[in-house]
Amino acid sequence: MKGQPLPEATASLFTANPPRTPIGPGTGPTPLPMRSIRPPSAEPPKKVAKFAAPRGEGTAKMSKEAQLSIAERDFILEALRENVRVDGRQPNEFRPVDISFGEEYGHVKLQLGKTSLVVRISAEVTKPRDERPFDGLFNINLELTSMGSPAWENGRSNDLEASATNTLDRVIRHSNALDTESLCIIKGVSCWSIRADVHVLDYDGNLTDAACIAIMTGLQHFRRPDAVVKDGRVIVYGVEERVPVALNITHKPLSITFHTFNESKNVIMDASLKEEQASEGDLIIGLNSAGELCYVSKMEGGPVDPMLIVNQVSKAWEKAKELNIVIESVLRADLTKRAKAGMADESRAENDRLMATE
Amino acid sequence: MIGPTASLSHLHRADGSASYKCPATGYNILGAVNAPVELPGRRDALKPEEATVEVFVKPGTTTAGVGERYVEGLLRSVLGKVVLGREKGFPRRGVVLTLAIVGGENIERGDSYLTVFPALLHAGLLSMISASVPLSMTFSATLLGVTKSGDIVRDPSPAAAKAAVSLHVFAISSKNHLLLNESEGRFDFDTWELARQNAVTICQGSSKGSDGDVNMEEEKNASGNGFIRETVEDQIYSDYVYKLDSI
Amino acid sequence: MTTPLVLLPSDEVPRDYLPANNSNPLRLGPGLRILSQPSSKSADSKHVLTATQAGLLTTDAKKNTVSLLSFPNRRYIPTVNDFVIAQIHHSSADFFHCMVSPHTAHALLGQLSFEGASKKTRPMLKQGELVYARVLSVGVGAGAEVELTCVSPSTGKAEGGMGPLAGGMVFDVSTGMAARLIRANNPSAEIDEIEGLVILAELDKKLDPFGGFELAVGRNGKVWVNCSDSEENTVKATVAIGRCLQETDQKNLHPHDQKKLVSKVLREMKLT
Repeated sequence: MKGQPLPEATASLFTANPPRTPIGPGTGPTPLPMRSIRPPSAEPPKKVAKFAAPRGEGTAKMSKEAQLSIAERDFILEALRENVRVDGRQPNEFRPVDISFGEEYGHVKLQLGKTSLVVRISAEVTKPRDERPFDGLFNINLELTSMGSPAWENGRSNDLEASATNTLDRVIRHSNALDTESLCIIKGVSCWSIRADVHVLDYDGNLTDAACIAIMTGLQHFRRPDAVVKDGRVIVYGVEERVPVALNITHKPLSITFHTFNESKNVIMDASLKEEQASEGDLIIGLNSAGELCYVSKMEGGPVDPMLIVNQVSKAWEKAKELNIVIESVLRADLTKRAKAGMADESRAENDRLMATE
Repeated sequence: MIGPTASLSHLHRADGSASYKCPATGYNILGAVNAPVELPGRRDALKPEEATVEVFVKPGTTTAGVGERYVEGLLRSVLGKVVLGREKGFPRRGVVLTLAIVGGENIERGDSYLTVFPALLHAGLLSMISASVPLSMTFSATLLGVTKSGDIVRDPSPAAAKAAVSLHVFAISSKNHLLLNESEGRFDFDTWELARQNAVTICQGSSKGSDGDVNMEEEKNASGNGFIRETVEDQIYSDYVYKLDSI
Repeated sequence: MTTPLVLLPSDEVPRDYLPANNSNPLRLGPGLRILSQPSSKSADSKHVLTATQAGLLTTDAKKNTVSLLSFPNRRYIPTVNDFVIAQIHHSSADFFHCMVSPHTAHALLGQLSFEGASKKTRPMLKQGELVYARVLSVGVGAGAEVELTCVSPSTGKAEGGMGPLAGGMVFDVSTGMAARLIRANNPSAEIDEIEGLVILAELDKKLDPFGGFELAVGRNGKVWVNCSDSEENTVKATVAIGRCLQETDQKNLHPHDQKKLVSKVLREMKLT
């Protein structure tokens, strides 16, 4: 990550209230004395100066992605001063989002510009944790391999992996997007364990938002096998025997990542890798379509005006609503397609399988 | 039977990539190759005058374990045989192959990993070709299951593979070498020999194709090696469509 | 010309595809090697040309060369005389250590390998600065270092625009596209050898009223663009050129679509 690892300064609060409307006192650029906005004392003011100059010494940045040249950094910053992005987008414009599904339920392929990934949701019956006998399990698994970027080493985790996993956990798991209580089968004995595996195929920035969209789509698309309790024993029915069951989704949070440039005069969404590398800091906001905030993080980089964060929350809300509409429409389209092809196809598939075995 | 499908060079960051889908077994594999790259902390490799082939297999819905490590070893040995690691730019560098099993059933602990092996080999080879890693030859592979009644089944589904008495994977090179032979279960030598002949037919299109009968184009394309060739040709033709237009 | 032929590793180059020019020695491009096959019938062995990569076989009868065009997305492997855009990583007493392609060993560029450079006049390049250089040597054997130069060793001049690149912007393209751009812009190329690329000519025509642009193409998949003469349109023109090049590359556009793309992008960037 950029520079030294700073003390984590995040606010992870899941409230049922809509975000506060920006009615704060317009106190100009004085940072709020809030722990969530600016990392405490460990941030000497020289840090700001460091970002103004081309980043020289900090080679341990963002795993080992090749550094940006001075020409690229200067140009990206100069263009942003004119409100131009290198790929011609608007500051709050995402790259084209393309979501498609595999054959299995919960198999999602997401393309966000040149960033692309596959998410697979899977379920198995297991024993609940002793301290939470009524809860099922839900885990998000993100392992970066050198498929996504030659800078990532196989079998070794890096900073990006850790920070993206942390954000996804906070936005999706800790906000209870998936109702884990509904995964309980027999109290303290057996429950469903749901697993989301993220495979990053191509990395061109904004991994977190892309993964978040794909996981949320996958959770809504996934169908787990039906299970019933008979005489104290759990019977799991195959997908062919009983109609599989959708997961219980309580709300649909998404993360929206902003990057700041030129002393936070320019703020953009969905940065490409080069834009990320040229940025002075990021700001991640996690919220759902109702505007309920579940995550705000300003982990590192230059300080920003608290009013800016408040303003970005409303922009993030608009974007989250927009993206959730996209997700809903692709889900609907796919489910209709499956329903139509449904019976006929399934029996044909079954026949094929039998033929292959014979 | 529906044949496999494959595409090349669909990823941006990796130097070479391929996807391979086998409808019979249900596996869908993505492969990516980065080569030649610097391998950190391994400057003093065992053979400094050659490239080091690294293979990483990532299962779809679990964390990698013993099964993946085993199959990685096999892949490394097969691909290591065909990679020309002394060509310009490759000595002392790494050829890093990453394979992700993105579709198909999960391989439970204790189940045979051979069922997914041919798909991994094909995805790996196509990714290597897509990254223009110098190779001495190409190959194709097949999975054969021997049922209780003694029949040999090509590309058995995971369920059928579980019920099979023995499983065999063969990789046959474009020059008719037997590059790999992995078997599991109980079988006698006659059964193995029969399976091998079957594999040669599947991979080469004809059991007597040793002296390169190029005339049998039709039959060649239905074979494993023919499929590899067709996939590569399609991609080259589409990449160089501007050259072909002007001819 | 005979029908196009795609070779796979271990395929032999058919003899009738070889250029029939016997005055010069035949030159092999990358991806091909010569093997001698012991023949069972006679005592002397037979020589065959085989492919080690997959690619389209191309021959040049004039230069008597035969080579393979392999996948355009491949990684760049330094080859003597190639023009590259290298990025300074750090400097030592005698050399600048430069990145030619990411995640490979640094190439060396002599501190004095610039036109007219002496101990006193040599350029002081910082980390992250770019140079347009030529591959001088690639060394022999394992772990050999690649050496770059910014002067022609024979003339001592910075031919072809070699030297530090100041300002501008760099865009990444595939190595195949970079090679294509270089071939298409070769001044000795004939009219029909434009490699299906009209994008630069079209951009040149349309951006001329705005001050035109400067371009340097590195075989390592980098294109440096400078539009500083466009004054207030510098940023927009640079972005437009970058987008056109990258989209032509990624979508492998037909010349007809390249022209359409230029019009579309220039309209979007308000440069018409």
